[in-house]
Amino acid sequence: MAQAAPLATPEVELTYEMPEQVTLFTDAWRRIRRNRLALLGGVIILLLFIVALISIVWTPYPTWLQAVGPTYSPPSMQHPLGLDAAGRDILSRIMGGALITIEVGVGSAIIVSLIGIPLGLMAGFYRGRVDTIISFFINIWYGIPDLLVALILVFVLSDALHLIPRGVFVIVLAFSLTRWMDVARLVRGQSLSLREREFVEAARMSGARDFSLLFRHIFPNALGPIIVQATFAIPAAVLFEAFLSFLGLGLPSPTPSWGAMAAEGYHGMDFAPHIVLAPTIALSLTLMAFNWLGDGLRDAFDPRMKR
Amino acid sequence: MAPLLRVQDLRVQFFTSGGVVNAVDGVSFDIEKGEIVGIVGESGSGKTMTALSLLRLIPEPGKITNGRILYGDKDVAQMTDEEIREFRGNEVAMIFQDPMTSLNPVLKVGFQIEEAMAAHRRFTRQQAKDRVVPLLSRVRIPAAKDRVRDFPHQFSGGMRQRAMIAMGVSNEPSLLIADEPTTALDVTVQASIIELIRDLSREMRASVILITHNMALIASLCQRVIVMYAGRIVEEGPTRAIFKNPQHPYTWSLLRSIPRMDERSHDKLISIRGLPPDLGQLPPGCKFHPRCRFRIDRCLTEEPPLAEVDPGQLARCWVLMKNIKDPESIAQK
Repeated sequence: MAQAAPLATPEVELTYEMPEQVTLFTDAWRRIRRNRLALLGGVIILLLFIVALISIVWTPYPTWLQAVGPTYSPPSMQHPLGLDAAGRDILSRIMGGALITIEVGVGSAIIVSLIGIPLGLMAGFYRGRVDTIISFFINIWYGIPDLLVALILVFVLSDALHLIPRGVFVIVLAFSLTRWMDVARLVRGQSLSLREREFVEAARMSGARDFSLLFRHIFPNALGPIIVQATFAIPAAVLFEAFLSFLGLGLPSPTPSWGAMAAEGYHGMDFAPHIVLAPTIALSLTLMAFNWLGDGLRDAFDPRMKR
Repeated sequence: MAPLLRVQDLRVQFFTSGGVVNAVDGVSFDIEKGEIVGIVGESGSGKTMTALSLLRLIPEPGKITNGRILYGDKDVAQMTDEEIREFRGNEVAMIFQDPMTSLNPVLKVGFQIEEAMAAHRRFTRQQAKDRVVPLLSRVRIPAAKDRVRDFPHQFSGGMRQRAMIAMGVSNEPSLLIADEPTTALDVTVQASIIELIRDLSREMRASVILITHNMALIASLCQRVIVMYAGRIVEEGPTRAIFKNPQHPYTWSLLRSIPRMDERSHDKLISIRGLPPDLGQLPPGCKFHPRCRFRIDRCLTEEPPLAEVDPGQLARCWVLMKNIKDPESIAQK
């Protein structure tokens, strides 16, 4: 052959098939699916949400309506969970209580995060004096008894000054003001370690603003632990509300709070135990469900658990 | 023409509990427009600290305590926080050693490149968005249009380094600092990354500072070399001159410690005896003298100045290699 054949330029179409997207969440989902208890917790929580949503538009009887039948009636076909001391339908009140529980739990988790995340991020990111001041407040706050703050808030803000009506909001406020430190401390630790990571340094070198470093680079990488912490804040807040209501410091009487219902039924416990049992079982199931889910999420988001 | 960057008598000190350590001591150099300069030296020789100080990113407890870093008529050491933020990434960009950890694992690659542009005023948000795909194609990532939506862990090491480079050049900086850009990569990928840096530098007429301890990399990429030892420049000059006629014993030993395939294969490799110096306890006189095989008495007490030995070539040595006959046999002993 005299001459080499001209090199054919191959018509290479550069295509690329997207591999399955494995994000933080799909990965966590994959692992939580294998955790039976966490899944059960998730199902119970889902039911709780459904019941709460239904209660907004429909309950068998109005939750406040008294004397729908004989007082202290045990469970029957007409009233599956019986009636309480004032003759109110307990099933309706449990349903209404689910909504209160979710409001308190989710509201508290959100506000706790809103306080704790920015403070923790800043303390860990700026270190130095900012960290000293924020950590100082975290430690001081740990020493303040939460019940005392709750008492002051409820009595002073609601009863004495009438600034906020007694209700879910005061409880959420009292809880958030006394329990924001856990989230703040966790986020501070995450922020302290993430700020040293190379991608944060790289972003800083390309001139990223502090705000973008904090919320684009550090915060998303700390999201897993934050979600876990927030999930654990929900049952804590729910228990806090039930406890306050049981003591009579929580939600005022016609509100179907599970804690208040247990407190009211407690006097007739020996002859009408269903009045106490219904809210306490509902409460226990809810608390366990959130704790199981929280545990499952913690394992699912733990990078050391990666296959 | 004024140089792009002029570093004058730079000193970086670390204030540790064990005393003050001079990580960089009296370093001066110029970077011309479009020039590729290599900085070589062992670990702890101050090459990375010199580069970081150009962006004023010395880690705690270090500080720039002396000297000027002139960029145009601006002194980097005197800039306000907002000025320095705008300067980073916009005028001077940096590429890191380890592309595996330099990308944020939870953000899509394309978005991260977009963010690098959004941090500065050169491009609007829309322009930034539109530039991402061309940038990725420009650093030769295949199927860039699809891959902008990938997360960093879906990229290979070489591709991540390409993405980092795309991020670095996204604001069209006039100086690119590459700190050991290929150390973490496969040899086959190294070559293509180096080629990419060279091409981009040429296309954008950007200067490059390449920090490495790899002499081969310097030879293939750089026009000029700065050799650092114990926080000082010990030799500086055009790459060809440095490789052909190194004048400082340290440079000479560095070059003789690399196996060569073409000549003198029967010679034993020369190793530099001893360890890199403890910056907290530097010897008096020439800082290299405890490890130097060619030292004279003067080296023990007096530190030599960085003096011109040939046009354009500077060395910090009392002896100079050109004055030594048959250095190989002395070194082999």
